[in-house]
Amino acid sequence: MPLLDARTIAKLAGVKVRARVVMEGVLSGLHKSPHQGQSVEFAEHKEYAPGDELRHLDWKAYAKFDRFYVKRFEHETDLRAVLVVDASGSMGYRSGALSKLEVATTLAGALSYLLVRQQDAAGLSVLAGGGWSDIPPRSAAGHLMALLDALERLEPRGPTHLHAAADHLAERLPRRAMVVVFSDLFDDAPDALRRLLQLRARKHDVAIFQVLDPAELEFPFDDPTLFLSMEDDRRLEVNAREIRDSYLEEVGAFLAQTKALCAEADVDYQLVRTDEPLDAVLLSFLSKRQGRRR
Amino acid sequence: MSFVHPWLLLGTLGALLPLAVHLFDRRRPKPRPFAAIAFVLRSHRRTASRLRLKRLLLYTLRTLLLLAVPLALARPQLLRPGATGTRTSGAAATVLVVDRSLGMRFKDKESLFERARDEAREALAALLPEEPVTLIACGPGVEAPAAPGFDRARVRDAIDRLQPSYGGADLNGCLTLGARALEDSPLPGKRLVVISAFTAASLRLESPPPQVKVGDKMVQPEMVLRDVARGQALPNHFLLEVKAEPAPQLGPRMVQVTFTARNVSSNSSEEVPAALELSGRPVAKGFLALAPGGTAQKSLSARAETGGALTGAVVLEPDGLAEDDRRDFVVQVPQELRVLVVDGAPSAVRYRDEAFFYEAALTAPGSPARPTLRDAEAAWREKLTDYDVVALLNVPPPPPDAAARLKSFVEGGGGLLISMGDQVEPDSWNQRLGALLPRPLRLVKSAGATGETALRPARLGEVAWEHPLFLPFADKAREGLLAARFSKYMLVEAGQRSGETADVLAAFDDGAPAFLLARRGKGRVLLFTSTVDRDWSDFAIRTSFLPLVQRSAAYLAGSLDERERAEGHIGQTLVLRPEVPVAEVRSPSGGKVPFHPEADGSIRVGPFSEPGVYRPVDAAGAPTLSPFAVVLDAAQSDLTRVKPEALAAYFGEEAVKGPGGAAETRVPLWTWLLAAAALFFFFEGTLLRTP
Repeated sequence: MPLLDARTIAKLAGVKVRARVVMEGVLSGLHKSPHQGQSVEFAEHKEYAPGDELRHLDWKAYAKFDRFYVKRFEHETDLRAVLVVDASGSMGYRSGALSKLEVATTLAGALSYLLVRQQDAAGLSVLAGGGWSDIPPRSAAGHLMALLDALERLEPRGPTHLHAAADHLAERLPRRAMVVVFSDLFDDAPDALRRLLQLRARKHDVAIFQVLDPAELEFPFDDPTLFLSMEDDRRLEVNAREIRDSYLEEVGAFLAQTKALCAEADVDYQLVRTDEPLDAVLLSFLSKRQGRRR
Repeated sequence: MSFVHPWLLLGTLGALLPLAVHLFDRRRPKPRPFAAIAFVLRSHRRTASRLRLKRLLLYTLRTLLLLAVPLALARPQLLRPGATGTRTSGAAATVLVVDRSLGMRFKDKESLFERARDEAREALAALLPEEPVTLIACGPGVEAPAAPGFDRARVRDAIDRLQPSYGGADLNGCLTLGARALEDSPLPGKRLVVISAFTAASLRLESPPPQVKVGDKMVQPEMVLRDVARGQALPNHFLLEVKAEPAPQLGPRMVQVTFTARNVSSNSSEEVPAALELSGRPVAKGFLALAPGGTAQKSLSARAETGGALTGAVVLEPDGLAEDDRRDFVVQVPQELRVLVVDGAPSAVRYRDEAFFYEAALTAPGSPARPTLRDAEAAWREKLTDYDVVALLNVPPPPPDAAARLKSFVEGGGGLLISMGDQVEPDSWNQRLGALLPRPLRLVKSAGATGETALRPARLGEVAWEHPLFLPFADKAREGLLAARFSKYMLVEAGQRSGETADVLAAFDDGAPAFLLARRGKGRVLLFTSTVDRDWSDFAIRTSFLPLVQRSAAYLAGSLDERERAEGHIGQTLVLRPEVPVAEVRSPSGGKVPFHPEADGSIRVGPFSEPGVYRPVDAAGAPTLSPFAVVLDAAQSDLTRVKPEALAAYFGEEAVKGPGGAAETRVPLWTWLLAAAALFFFFEGTLLRTP
């Protein structure tokens, strides 16, 4: 299955087109999945009462408790999803065809397509310039364009405040929702990620796409370089070759810690390189989630 | 420190490259907005100090590397104490001149010669690979060296085999030989390395300094002087002269040895012990007071156990140069001679007796002879083998049996003296003892009695003064012999019998022989053609009569050898006159000394290489001649050192700072520098690969 690589996607103008192409690629992949059509999700057990469908009887529960329970299902149309996009200055970095923000918005747009297509409610929360802009979750078809427009307009700026984002979402999401975060997670606050992951403790279904540029992962610089911060006025002149090993150690430790924290908090974690096929990223994500449901 | 290729030192400017790059190659770093700058900052904080240290080390190593390589290529040489001299740039053909004169045996903890060998090895090791070298062992009998070559092992072996000599070293001659050898090398650089103590005896400053012909020009080679004395004085006392002679006035077989010692140091030696050895045993001791630069003389006497040729030595307390504190000698100690005096014309009046003066001379004080007087008839009954010498004084011809016994006596080694007189009838003598006579007797010639005016008495004309018989008659002492007047004497036949030799030791002024000597068998026959009383001459009352009688008796008995005064010197030869063939001459250490026969029957022995007593022996190993001593040349014992300013004047002010000055030697450093550069390179690479 030829997947859409980043270079191809980069040739497409605008988030709408990119997101749609990615979404179609994902759908193409899903058709081949043996689990297609699964549109209901187990919600809770209920004690059997006459009139309930016998096919929903949970025989395993009966064997365990000696009482009859029926499974109740929640359709996806009931799903409220909030796509959180980090549009801080650091997300504007690119060493290849796509910046991290472009990847994040493309993924968010594609996911919006999928959600709205399933008639789920999709909302958007954007962190940019130290502030927030929110689009509440809705399932109307016209809402999709509002989401895509908002994504289209995003420009990277300002610092990254993940802890503020966590607090903001906690306030804004009184009901159980699915929270999908697109960010590089470059926040200097030591407990920023923990705060974000605490959303899971509030019964929210949290998934994190950590979007990183290949240059950030591999540090392929040799010459003396003046590194400039993309969020503030920090700068450093250094021979990149001399600190590469140390840098890779730092980044490796950061990724390992992030992954461990996510696993600990039962949060889906997906590392996204900006040079990898985005439909494959989404397919992998969806497959993983479907696997978890089973 | 000096450099073989100093212009390559310009390359050391390359060591400034790292600094120049650091200062001037300030390339602008490429600005790069980077999202993960927090990790970059954190990494930099972690590694900053380590990187700074690494950078500093790299900078240092690169600077050192760029410094070491051109320095090594410039071939630096460290000058350290050990030698002085001029320097030539580039490679130079080199001649090592090692002094192996007697003075180099001087020992102060370590012998100068051992030090010289070490210096020679060092000088050899300090040479550049492209420098050819040869060696001159400067001592007695020095030979022209081979042309400078590259066989270092051969030169090293030659240095190892060097031995100090007992003779002198002509440094001027050796330097000239070295200069000639340098001319064989095509290299433009010429170098003479002189390893010596630079004593006044070894270097003649009046000779011109060595020069080498390069092309059409004569140039002075580079001179490197290695002073093995390290500028120190070499105090030395030594035996200047030893004279050993019999001292009959002190008693039988007494020997008196008079020796002179000299002190060439600035220190006085109040009591220098001196010992006299005879036949290897100390027999007398004494002390000498030697003032600085002064001489002192002393005599020691002792009684010899036996007569004959006796070896001995005078030994001073050893100092730094012990070799010249001993001097061997050979002295002829008079042996007791048994002389049968046959009186052919006895007389009741003593002074008219034929044997009166002869017997008186033999019995004089100090004479080793013990005469027995017999008349002619009684004498023939004597057992001749009980005597060493038989003196026939104006004796009629002996009966045939006596003549036969006499012949047997002489051929068996006895000595026979025949003097003339009225009892001697020439024909009968020729008939009876013709075989023993040096020449047949002819007739008596009258030259005129003393006081007569018609005929003038004869005197001795030609005398073989060098013969042992006449050796004591030197200068004025000859007057006593030449003043004797002879009124009659026996003429002898001219010419000799075939196969027999006779030497005319002295002749009258008309040419007629006066003393004839012949060897018959192992014995000797001396014919005196006049009388030993006053009948035919007044010789008996001359002062020369007594010593001549005593010496003739000793000579005929074989105890007065002609080599009794023979004394050789180191590096020289000696002429000996053996009467029986000499098979070999043994040196003090037991080795064979070369000798060559001369046309006159003598042999030339030597040159001698060691002091001590030499012994000529026959094929059976028995002594054929008296041993003789070979002594050191006293001039070589003068270890006064040449002053630095004199050397500077000789070799040139710029060429030599002086042997006693700050001597230096060259130690090549470039190999160490290359090794260091390789290490720097290795460490730099390792450091670069270190994260």
